[in-house]
Amino acid sequence: MSFLQPMFLAAMPLVALPIIIHLINQRRYQTVRWGAMMFLLAANRMSRGFARIRQWLIMAFRMAAIAGLVVAISRPLAGGWLGMAAGTRPDTTIVLLDRSPSMQQTEEGGGGSKLETGRRQLVRTMETLGSGHWMLVESATNAPRELETPEALVATPSAGPVSASSDVPAMLLAARDYIRANKVGRTEVWICSDLRANDWDPEGGRWSSLREAFLEMSQSVRFHVLAYPRPAAENLAVRVTGVRRQPSGAGAELLVSLSIRREGADAKADEAATSSGDSGRRSIPVQVEIDGARSELTVEMTGPTFELKDHKIPLERTHVKGWGRVSIPADANPADNDDWFVFDEPAPRHAVVVAEDPQAARPLQLAASIPPAPQVKCSAEVVAPDKLAGVEWEKVSVLLWQAPLPTADAAKAVQAYVDRGGQVLFFPPRNPGPEEFRGVRWTAWEQPGKEASVATWRGDQDVLSQTQSGGPLPVGQLQVRRHCGLAGESTALASLAGGAPLLSRVSTDSGGVYLCGTTPAPGDSSMATNGVVLYVMVQRLSEAGAKVLGSTRELVAGPASGEDPSTWKRLAGADEGLSTDAALHRGIYRAGDRLIAVTRSPAEDLAPVVADDRLAGLFRGLDYSRVDDRAGNVGSLIQETWRLFLVGMMVAMVVEAALCMPRPRPSPAVAMVGGAAS
Amino acid sequence: MFPERRQRSFLDTRVLSRLSGFPLFARTPMLGSVSGRHPSPHRGSSVEFAEYRKYVPGDDLRRLDWRAYGRSDRFYVKEFEADTNLRCCLVLDTSGSMGYGSKEVTKIEYARRLAGGIAHLAIQQGDAAGVACVAGGIVRNLPPRRNPAHLSSLYDVLEQAQPKGETRIDEVLHELAETVRQRAFVVILSDLFIEPRRLAGGFQHLRFRRHDVAVFHLLDPKELSFDFRRPTRFLDMEGGPALFADPSEIAERYRKAIGGYLDDLKQVMLESAVDYHRVGIDEDYEQTLMRFLIGRARGKGAR
Repeated sequence: MSFLQPMFLAAMPLVALPIIIHLINQRRYQTVRWGAMMFLLAANRMSRGFARIRQWLIMAFRMAAIAGLVVAISRPLAGGWLGMAAGTRPDTTIVLLDRSPSMQQTEEGGGGSKLETGRRQLVRTMETLGSGHWMLVESATNAPRELETPEALVATPSAGPVSASSDVPAMLLAARDYIRANKVGRTEVWICSDLRANDWDPEGGRWSSLREAFLEMSQSVRFHVLAYPRPAAENLAVRVTGVRRQPSGAGAELLVSLSIRREGADAKADEAATSSGDSGRRSIPVQVEIDGARSELTVEMTGPTFELKDHKIPLERTHVKGWGRVSIPADANPADNDDWFVFDEPAPRHAVVVAEDPQAARPLQLAASIPPAPQVKCSAEVVAPDKLAGVEWEKVSVLLWQAPLPTADAAKAVQAYVDRGGQVLFFPPRNPGPEEFRGVRWTAWEQPGKEASVATWRGDQDVLSQTQSGGPLPVGQLQVRRHCGLAGESTALASLAGGAPLLSRVSTDSGGVYLCGTTPAPGDSSMATNGVVLYVMVQRLSEAGAKVLGSTRELVAGPASGEDPSTWKRLAGADEGLSTDAALHRGIYRAGDRLIAVTRSPAEDLAPVVADDRLAGLFRGLDYSRVDDRAGNVGSLIQETWRLFLVGMMVAMVVEAALCMPRPRPSPAVAMVGGAAS
Repeated sequence: MFPERRQRSFLDTRVLSRLSGFPLFARTPMLGSVSGRHPSPHRGSSVEFAEYRKYVPGDDLRRLDWRAYGRSDRFYVKEFEADTNLRCCLVLDTSGSMGYGSKEVTKIEYARRLAGGIAHLAIQQGDAAGVACVAGGIVRNLPPRRNPAHLSSLYDVLEQAQPKGETRIDEVLHELAETVRQRAFVVILSDLFIEPRRLAGGFQHLRFRRHDVAVFHLLDPKELSFDFRRPTRFLDMEGGPALFADPSEIAERYRKAIGGYLDDLKQVMLESAVDYHRVGIDEDYEQTLMRFLIGRARGKGAR
């Protein structure tokens, strides 16, 4: 039970008032000399079960009436916010709002999406509880902004749905920074989210530092998680996995690959349904829109996922550049029923190899210059470290660097290239020096006695991920004869048997900075002789780098690095939002001559819900409470129940009065007149 | 020359004068020593014919009915009813509980008024009156006499009677039944706070000794209503243990107890043929006495 005015609970000892009055009354007895003691003694001996119970009941109802009054004026709340009984009105209330596409999921019966329901519930709750200030940290920008009133949470466009994923730890960091900077008093932090793992990143390293930071705070910070964890069974999500244009006999055709994934589906159950017959088979009409022209195809889906490879859509020969959309019929979550893409002739992949070791440079140049497909143009040039000034960075798709890490102007040029979305793969120099790039530097070479093999690597994502057919790259076949250590903060993508990192990635806002612990030189590793891994790595990096070079670009919804969304012109899209937030809303935008497709994060389709224990573990030691709600819930999370207690008090008084009413006396039994018995 | 006439608190001459018009009758034959207005079990010389019987030698020849001899040539003696006086024995309960009175009059004071009135009426019509003050036993006993001067002594005893001690009237009744000569008029003034079944033996003993028994059962109205409000510590006026009680809690059971007691007592009185009068001490004692005397006048005549 929570109370809005808990200080009135201090009056609860008044419940003992009837007992005290009773005791005082007992003390104020009168003394009477009495003759008819034999009847008093007889009355005292008589069974007094009900009479005693009646007295106790009267006392109990009197106490209940006072308790009801005290509780009523304390303004009790009913609801799941069990931990909210802290008492006084908070100084600041910070709302962390998850606006990710998964929050647009609705449930049967209507009532709005999880996001709408959560906002509504938060408004009601905040209005009831009150606060000195209301702050909103929404997932798109992670920037605290003040709300004048709780109702603003519904009205503000900053709380609407977006296509970008959330980063709850980053939102908490923003809240922490706000609390620290403004030295606020007692703070309530409400997190409204559907607990998707990709939003919460429960395995991330930021949680421990966040927890410690909040534990060290002098002011009281309470966390309330308003969770909407229920997945929508049978919700389908469509995603374009690949688009490429190729010439055909008469003209051209667009090859569109897409995947459809069912949310909340149990793979085993699906397999069983598939094997038992057609019961799991579903026909799904898929609509493909190319520059406004629509076509439809029907796919048969039998399992939890469906993959369509290279669906051909004819194009005119002159139709080289354009945009498109793939959509499926409406279901529980409208945010994942469409996906957007742009197409154009692929930009030439031009690699720049900066190498001090010719034995290393040659394999790199070969790997970068051999095109993976006939229509892809690949080239590579070897540049000496001191000739970087002549490089046309605007045409470089990947930079392969086997030399001491760049410094001074070279470092600035490489950094600018990376910030623009470029990809860099560093290999260790012959003599590692003190040079640093983005906080990392090479350490000394290590040469174990025998060749080391790669023990672990990330096959699920990034440059070493599995092939399109699902097979793993032969990373384990690589033999490393010597490797160079790394100092600084980086994420290992592949590690040798001894635990030394072979391939690491440095965290960047855009672009990619990779560091390979050895070189393709024959004396260092078998990367050149067993060239599949090297070739795939280089080509994947080159492909990623080429994407930012062409006149079309696909962006995952979120803060657009290197872009200015305010200059974008919206051609088509699903979400309506502010023009300045164009990068947050999926759709097609035109920026000058370039076409930009903004899509939702791929992780949105896959992310499971954070387990209850794991979530509790994230807030371990903090003042934390959680309430699970469901989309479309029209009832309030909390509501004042003082009327109930007032009614209870009145009922107690009425019952007490009824019990106190004297019984009709059996007067004939003690009549005085007519006593003669003669 | 004459002793100074004392003013008795329990006597009201106006009441006594008004009651003088109502004779006190016995319901059963009395054995008096002189002629009176009460029926006697023996033949006597009243004007009321009783029977004829055969003459036996030794009978007073003056009582022969010569007219009967003339008609039947046999000797008959004509007999008449005898009227005699009675011995009125007033039994005044002086136990502690008789000292209770919720208003200005206590039960013993009320009993004094009744006893004084009855004694006055009895002696005025030539009957003998005496008084026995009883509590745990016979505290004081003044045998019945018909001397008018005896009335003053009787009043003295009534005046000096103090409520004290416990009630053992059941034992006292047996003692009185034996000590008082047969065929007396026994008037008991008590609150009878004793188990009714224990009283039954005493009353039957009195009936066995052919006493005419009348009972004034004196009760204070508060003893019936028990309308106390505040928690009360009840001190036993007869020396028993005190009791603390909340009247609101115990009143109902108290009324139930006293109701049962009164029912039982009434039953005992009916079975013992006692002239029973339940009297609230808030009633006018003149009215009480009036009802008593009228009631007895109706029951007069049995021999």
